[in-house]
Amino acid sequence: MTRRAQLGMAMFLIAETVFFFLLILAFRYFAPTPYLSSRNGWILSVLLLSSALAMWRAVSGSRLWINVTIVLGAAFLAGLLAVSSSALTGIHGLHILAGLVALALVPASALRAMALYWYFLTAVWLAIFLAVYMGGAA
Amino acid sequence: MIGWLCAIDHKRVGILYMLSAFLFFLAGGMEAMVMRAQLAAPNLKLITPEIYNQMFTMHGTTMIFLVAMPVLTGFGVYLVPLMIGANEMALPRLGALSFWLQFFGGVLLYFSFTTGAAPAGGWFSYAPLSEKAFSPGPGVDYWALALLMVAGGSIGSAINLIVTIANCRAPGMTLRLVPLFVWMTLVTSVMIVFALPALAASLVLLLSDRLLNARFFDPSQGGAPLLWQHYFWIFGHPEVYIVVLPAFGIISEIIPVFSRKPIFGYPFVATSTVAIAFLSYGVWAHHMFAVALGRNFLAVFAAASMLIAVPTGMKIFSWIATMWGGAIRFSTAMLFAVAFLLEFTVGGLSGVAFAAVPVDWQMTDTYFVVAHIHYVLVGGTVFALLAGVHYWFPKFSGRLLDEKLGRWTFWLIVLGFNTTFFVQHFLGLLGMTRRVYTYPDLPWFGALNLISTIGAAILVFGILLFWANVAMSLFFGTRAGDDPWNAWTLEWSAASPPLPRNFAEIPEVRSRRPLWDRKHPEAPDWMRA
Repeated sequence: MTRRAQLGMAMFLIAETVFFFLLILAFRYFAPTPYLSSRNGWILSVLLLSSALAMWRAVSGSRLWINVTIVLGAAFLAGLLAVSSSALTGIHGLHILAGLVALALVPASALRAMALYWYFLTAVWLAIFLAVYMGGAA
Repeated sequence: MIGWLCAIDHKRVGILYMLSAFLFFLAGGMEAMVMRAQLAAPNLKLITPEIYNQMFTMHGTTMIFLVAMPVLTGFGVYLVPLMIGANEMALPRLGALSFWLQFFGGVLLYFSFTTGAAPAGGWFSYAPLSEKAFSPGPGVDYWALALLMVAGGSIGSAINLIVTIANCRAPGMTLRLVPLFVWMTLVTSVMIVFALPALAASLVLLLSDRLLNARFFDPSQGGAPLLWQHYFWIFGHPEVYIVVLPAFGIISEIIPVFSRKPIFGYPFVATSTVAIAFLSYGVWAHHMFAVALGRNFLAVFAAASMLIAVPTGMKIFSWIATMWGGAIRFSTAMLFAVAFLLEFTVGGLSGVAFAAVPVDWQMTDTYFVVAHIHYVLVGGTVFALLAGVHYWFPKFSGRLLDEKLGRWTFWLIVLGFNTTFFVQHFLGLLGMTRRVYTYPDLPWFGALNLISTIGAAILVFGILLFWANVAMSLFFGTRAGDDPWNAWTLEWSAASPPLPRNFAEIPEVRSRRPLWDRKHPEAPDWMRA
């Protein structure tokens, strides 16, 4: 079951990669760069990165770390809502929200698959932050 | 009833897909007939231009997203586990979720009629026509949201099929031994995973423009209408193969069984499918030749588009070579499969013609395009599906379809289909543009359109006869037994219809024709190789 869940998730993340790649491309070139101070951006990035780190701990060791993942992820989402809004961060935020719900319910057999999802969202966030917000300044 | 609504068994989910496709086919077919009635004679005014626009938009969207894709998915979900010796899909609950997403996406699309403004921008809804300024009603919003749901459902079912084929094959069944239908379904599913997200991204951008005042497609605000065309066709051309590759798979199962020969060139049929999948991502701009894209750009896409005819042609030759020297049995299923070869080749040839840029410039947005797309999707996909239903109906239901009615169905559909669409090639060459609700009384226009409308009526009659056959045979058909065609793949070793648990004992597989091996222990395939 674990293998099936992981392969299924990997396929889903390929689809998500295409989806976010095309959106990021469009936002980078055709949307006005919405305001997001780089200080706020870095704080958000640190929150999500440490949440991914906690996820990694949860997979490799104690399941209790999932709670840390959820708290840090929720902090990221709250921070995102507070400091910026654009359709792109909104879509990413919806993915985070869905992930938080799934993390709260995840059975042990699907934990590794969920971890893949969470690492992926962290990477997508960094791509959005660097390509759209930081890149837009140039 | 509750059992069906909550079903996660792959056979029930497969049947649900087919029933839902049937329902939407009724709607899409009626829309087509309204159009053909309006076009029967010059300067007719049976319906308003606004209604006409809604009809062709809903017809195209319905037939592609709510009929072709779901019914092929239904075949895949029903047959793949049976063909690979599995008792269930890998992720059964995902299977049910995917179906209901797709179904309610369709319901949402049709709900737009109740607002009085169904979408009217064509099935590819080009921006800026689909923008708020030119389509102020809620129709396009319904269209975009519905297709987002359908895209989600398609991706879900594709993932499920990939994981099933990767993980649930019977012992001994390597990827070199799976039936070709399974191969085609696998490649199609991978294509869905890569292509449908491009549709989803386009729809998100369109909805951002319409509902959140973004400006992606508004040139006066720094946006680019071409962005929509690129993104949509990056999805749209692979989509053509997504609805035709499983049809190739169906044909690859039927022709060998009714020619009493194994498929000719199995590795070529399988790998040419992979080649088609790769190439199909490099040809999207041939839908955009009429846009000023630059000479080199055009040359690359024209060459790639012609190239894709090569692996497709290889398959046609494989099928013909399979029939060559075989003991052919012309059952209705085989008749449809042979007709498929001819009709699909006509569509393929007009497609190659389009790949030449000057030809495309002359013909784009004329009825030649309408003829081409229908030869591919009806002559190709629908004919293969009809072949598939005649072939697998005994497995689905335990009863045979009536062969006599089947022959009547076949000839009526062949006659009706060709009468409707062949003349549209000429209408296109004469300069009749598509998507215009009526036309002036120019030489030949009236006569050819009338022929086309009469053909459509014959086609409807053929399809009604087919359904009558299905309905009657379901109750009164001859009992089929497990293996009515003396076939070779594993689905025919299960009961007809299969028990909830497909196989009491998971079979061991040593060749591409496991059932042949079982029937001929003295000369099994695996001893020959």
